Amino acid sequence: MTNDDFSIIGKPIAMVDAAGKTTGAGKYTDDLTMSGMLVGRILHSPFPHARIKHIDTRRAEKVEGVVAVITGKDAPTPYGILPVGHDEHALAVDKVRYVGDNVACVAAIDEATADQALELIDVEYEVLPAYFDPEEAMKAETNLIHENKLNNIEKDYHHVFGDPEKGFAEADCVAEARYIANEVTHAAMEPHSTLAAFEIDSQTGKPGRLTVWSSTQVPYYLQHKLALVLEMPMAQIRVIKPLVGGGFGGKSEVIPLEIIAAIASRAARAPVKITYTREEVFWAHRGRPRTIIDLKTGVTKDGRITAVKARVVQDGGAYCSYGVVTILYSGALLGALYDIPHIQYDGYRVLTNKPACGAMRGHGTVNVRFAFETQMDELAAKLNLDPAEIRQRNLLQAPCVTINGLRVQSYGLPECIEKTVERSGWKQRKGKLPRGRGLGIACSHYVSGAANSIIRSDMPHSTVNIKIDRDGGVVVYTGASEIGQGSDTMTAQVAAETLGCSLGRIKIVAADTDLTPIDIGSYSSRVTFMAGNATLRAAEQIKKQIAVAAARKMNCPVEELIFRNDVVSRKDASVARAPSPADLAENQPTVSGHVDGQILRGSLQQKRKDEGPKTSMSFEEAVVAAIDFHGALTGTGSYAPPPAARGGKHKGAGVGPSPAYSYSAQVAEVTVDEDTGEVTVHKVWAAHDCGRALNPVSVEGQIIGSVWMGMGQALTEEMVWKDGMLMNPGLLEYRSPSSVESPEVEPIIVESIDPEGPFGAKECSEGSLAATIPAISNAIYDAVGIRLHEAPFTPERVLSALRAKTAHKKIDLTEGVDPTAPIHFREHGGALWFRGKGPERHALDPARRETRAETGGDD
Amino acid sequence: MSLPQFTLLRPRTLQEAVGALGKHASNIRVLAGGTDLIPSMRQKLFEPKYVLDIRQLAELKGVYHHPGGGVSIGALSTLTSVEHSEFLRKHYPVLSEAAATVASPVLRNMGTIGGNICLDTRCLWYNQSLTWRKGCGFCIKKDGDLCHVAPGGTKCWAAFSGDTPAALLCLNAEIELASESGVRRMPLRDFYTGLGDTYRTLQPAELLTRVFLPESLADYRGAYRKLRVRGSIDYPLAGVAVVMKRSNGQVADVQIALTAVNPAPVLVKGIQQLLHGKAVDDQLADAAAVLAAKTAKPLTTSALTPEYRREMIRVFTKRVLLEISGQWPVVSGR
Amino acid sequence: MKKELIELRVNGRSHELAIEPTKLLLDALRQDLQLTGSKRACDDSSCGACTVLVDGIPMLSCTMLAASCEGQEITTIEGVSEHGSLAAIQKAYGDWGGAQCGFCTPGFIMTVKFLLSNNSDPTEAEVRSALSSNLCRCTGYSQMYQAIKAAIEAEQKGMAVVK
Repeated sequence: MTNDDFSIIGKPIAMVDAAGKTTGAGKYTDDLTMSGMLVGRILHSPFPHARIKHIDTRRAEKVEGVVAVITGKDAPTPYGILPVGHDEHALAVDKVRYVGDNVACVAAIDEATADQALELIDVEYEVLPAYFDPEEAMKAETNLIHENKLNNIEKDYHHVFGDPEKGFAEADCVAEARYIANEVTHAAMEPHSTLAAFEIDSQTGKPGRLTVWSSTQVPYYLQHKLALVLEMPMAQIRVIKPLVGGGFGGKSEVIPLEIIAAIASRAARAPVKITYTREEVFWAHRGRPRTIIDLKTGVTKDGRITAVKARVVQDGGAYCSYGVVTILYSGALLGALYDIPHIQYDGYRVLTNKPACGAMRGHGTVNVRFAFETQMDELAAKLNLDPAEIRQRNLLQAPCVTINGLRVQSYGLPECIEKTVERSGWKQRKGKLPRGRGLGIACSHYVSGAANSIIRSDMPHSTVNIKIDRDGGVVVYTGASEIGQGSDTMTAQVAAETLGCSLGRIKIVAADTDLTPIDIGSYSSRVTFMAGNATLRAAEQIKKQIAVAAARKMNCPVEELIFRNDVVSRKDASVARAPSPADLAENQPTVSGHVDGQILRGSLQQKRKDEGPKTSMSFEEAVVAAIDFHGALTGTGSYAPPPAARGGKHKGAGVGPSPAYSYSAQVAEVTVDEDTGEVTVHKVWAAHDCGRALNPVSVEGQIIGSVWMGMGQALTEEMVWKDGMLMNPGLLEYRSPSSVESPEVEPIIVESIDPEGPFGAKECSEGSLAATIPAISNAIYDAVGIRLHEAPFTPERVLSALRAKTAHKKIDLTEGVDPTAPIHFREHGGALWFRGKGPERHALDPARRETRAETGGDD
Repeated sequence: MSLPQFTLLRPRTLQEAVGALGKHASNIRVLAGGTDLIPSMRQKLFEPKYVLDIRQLAELKGVYHHPGGGVSIGALSTLTSVEHSEFLRKHYPVLSEAAATVASPVLRNMGTIGGNICLDTRCLWYNQSLTWRKGCGFCIKKDGDLCHVAPGGTKCWAAFSGDTPAALLCLNAEIELASESGVRRMPLRDFYTGLGDTYRTLQPAELLTRVFLPESLADYRGAYRKLRVRGSIDYPLAGVAVVMKRSNGQVADVQIALTAVNPAPVLVKGIQQLLHGKAVDDQLADAAAVLAAKTAKPLTTSALTPEYRREMIRVFTKRVLLEISGQWPVVSGR
Repeated sequence: MKKELIELRVNGRSHELAIEPTKLLLDALRQDLQLTGSKRACDDSSCGACTVLVDGIPMLSCTMLAASCEGQEITTIEGVSEHGSLAAIQKAYGDWGGAQCGFCTPGFIMTVKFLLSNNSDPTEAEVRSALSSNLCRCTGYSQMYQAIKAAIEAEQKGMAVVK
């Protein structure tokens, strides 16, 4: 089917919730208020690793306006997003493990009062040695961050597929190097916010049900963890997700404030709202860990990959979070992009005394892809092959199953490479640009949702219910979480297209655990594929019921009916025509949401009587007929990934498999200022195979957004640490790019039409990110001939690499670290090399290096 | 982050304003554009008992040309108004350029030239929340007794990070300070102490009211180059302002000032002697650039390494000199 | 802390408010007037999500005291819609993907409204520069440029954009 066969799918429509966002009328969690609502503020640890000896809250409690002060003892049950990682407490019970860890919470009548009371909580700490460098942390035997994690290793995996040694023996050329990617965070514009309120139970007269409004990507997981920590039945907890101001993974697990607000509300016996400050958002973090990648790739002289060996160390921070999944993704998604016959992977997720890392856009794949695609470029240069060509020589022969058990059915990578090469003028321009200007190419891929849920069970990953009533309105109930990516719009489009009705009829009720069936949430780019399929199935089920009734009215077999553009007609009827633009405009919802039909029914019924059996009827007539016939119209559909997509049997095989993979190829054009080291990205051509673009404007927006975020990680974004202190916990110093230096991104949609995706659709919101970083590093090489192995490519790193090549007067711009061959994380990896003293830490602190003699300016 | 408690005073005249300043001098902060004060108050860097809101003082707004007597700029003139003043753009381009690089357009709508001159010095160990500063044991500039950046000494090294003062120093600007006892005028270069903590000589009861640009420096060529990571929003990580007058292709007068690399904006000493009477060529520009770089003493107070920031002072100085001497293609600086 | 009575003019209406002198304009709008369209996102005056017009000029409502805005005309995102319908720029932002999560959108709309009121046909460089006060984390800004272009065309034609 082509897009012309659809009325709503494949059309560039405004998001169904756009007006609420552009008028300010849409409500995010922090916009909500309730009578009697209190404000919660959290006390955070000033130490990276310390035992809490004593907490005295009495002085704080006495402050006028303070209603409750809570600490770890008010909810001592540990939790965590992964069943294997229940290592967090909402508020610290015995130890704090990073600067910013949660210690206590004050609920008060306003923010100023709560802030004032926080200063009056007395906490006595016993400072412990802290670990900031994962390679150091792995050597530790005492003062472990979590007592049950030996050597501070959260998890390590050692995978061998095929025979890597044999593969390397067959190689004509082998590249081996260390790559380092520093830490980045989501920095979604909306700081996390949660409002929690209990209702009084009519039977017991005591607080009963809990309702939590929260900025979450995963309402169902939140409900689950709240039940665990608050020791309440899940059925007594309702989680509602209002509009969410961006997630990118930072809201894809339970964040401490969500549980703290509920505990505080229970203690204060009043609704409590907590909204993080921006600094608290940085402490909550869950971003992309800084990563060391030791990568070895063997190729034959014609560029075929013979084997890949990767050792990956991730600096995971103080808690497990999604860490076990992250380290597995890093290995699993070495496969499924290219055809690699032999793979060895050793992954270490290490605990350190820093905020926990978690899932961030491109989860687990991004840093390894930076290393891999840069090394591919290096190999191409060694073999004198075109970098686009070497990638084309290693394509999978889809459909296939990769050596590590990933099933690939639709594979648009060849077309992605072809199109970016063509649009960017690669063949004519590569290598022919003036000095200082260059082109680089790289590819990436990503899952369309995980084939195995993090909660091991046979439950569907998505379920959608649809109700249609006599008014002709279609209400879709979905647990899928709109976080700005277009979840609600996708759902409405799929439902409307399937039912052949106009978009204006569709009302979306989403992400409210009382009203909507379980959906595991918006993460790993699963919503279009999984919730989309569930919507499709629910709509098909209800459509069948309508068809039965309509077929009776029209005296024809069900199979003869066509549902399109608010008309149900027989195939032989003349009304079944493609809609004109005027029809489409007419079918758009009016501002009030009013849809014609109801008023006309009387006259239509009269008309029908006059005319006898008919060849077509309006959608609304068909609905009325169906309700008269069946009694009620509801449909339900669910989606669980098929067993064939769920991967192999080895330990850790559960992570990586997906029902479908998206593909991306990108060319970046950059200039490098050789005097300053500043890199300017002029343009990125980004081709992305999204299966089918259900809404091209949205798909393009997701591609551009991913590329742009990748560019941020490539050039300007970096969390900078010093002795466990985050030096840049704000949007002023954590530099997410502004409009001025953001390049033009030309999105190129490639449609491979996946056999299992809804209308052939698959992932489009994450997969493009990973290719951007190596595309830029490869373009820098093309421009000025330097290979950067440490991201981000800040001006001092670029200049340092440039100066190393020339006979220029030697200036140590990067504190002795060669960005073309980094060896280890600095204690404070980053563009900042603090020779500063920093805070006093434990005397035996293994991470505390000897303070270097300090010049401190020369006056 | 809530603001600390204070009493807000909103004088309607300059006289009322200096009166209030005199009365509460020991515990008052002046609120003009608010772009420095308010975020700092949220971080509890300032907890004054009184805040003097002078936004209403219309008499302190505007750019006025006094033919033969130079230009006066009201301290409350927004950076946008300085940036967009056709007169300044034509006759004092270095100032327009510097104003146009401050923060972002919206912040320039709020921030004032007086505020930019009075801007508190900045350091990543200082411009942090109260909780954060507790975590690192505070610093010498606020609540502590140690400079993390230079722990050996007892001096604060927070960097002066205003853009326009570098341009104003090149222009030999003077400032007017008003207090209950009257008005005094001083060269801007005497306003800064060179210390990170007590960085200015402004007395507690004084209000910066006007900036004066001498007529003699009108129509000098000039340019400002700013090192920043993003093309907007960021404070300078290094900044170079240059003004030059040429006669017969030779330098008749020149000034170079630096910002964001020392606790004060500073003029590069000896530049006049080096360049005067000569035609700027590559070699001469190099020598001037080296001199500028020697004047810069950046420390780890901000992003990018000190060595890199100092090196950029050198690169920018050379570029700007060649640029305004017409020997370098003019590129729009970031 | 003792509250004071102030009169705040917002979106053409006067409001008498009893507020603390320490109250930020953003908080007065959001908490006292329930005008929650302006957002708080950064705490360090860097992101622009709280942008409102003060006497027609875009400013950060998180960096101003409400009490110090007495006598000034404040326009928030809630004052942008015309006669209960979307203004051209609002419609265009929706149609062209200028808003994804929408959290930064009100701030951007205020910035763009000011830009277009002063310059009916800005160049791309002027648009980029004007938007550089506001951070967006979703869109990479590109689709906003298309939206602004479409809004200008719509204004010129005096009608809504039909794609």
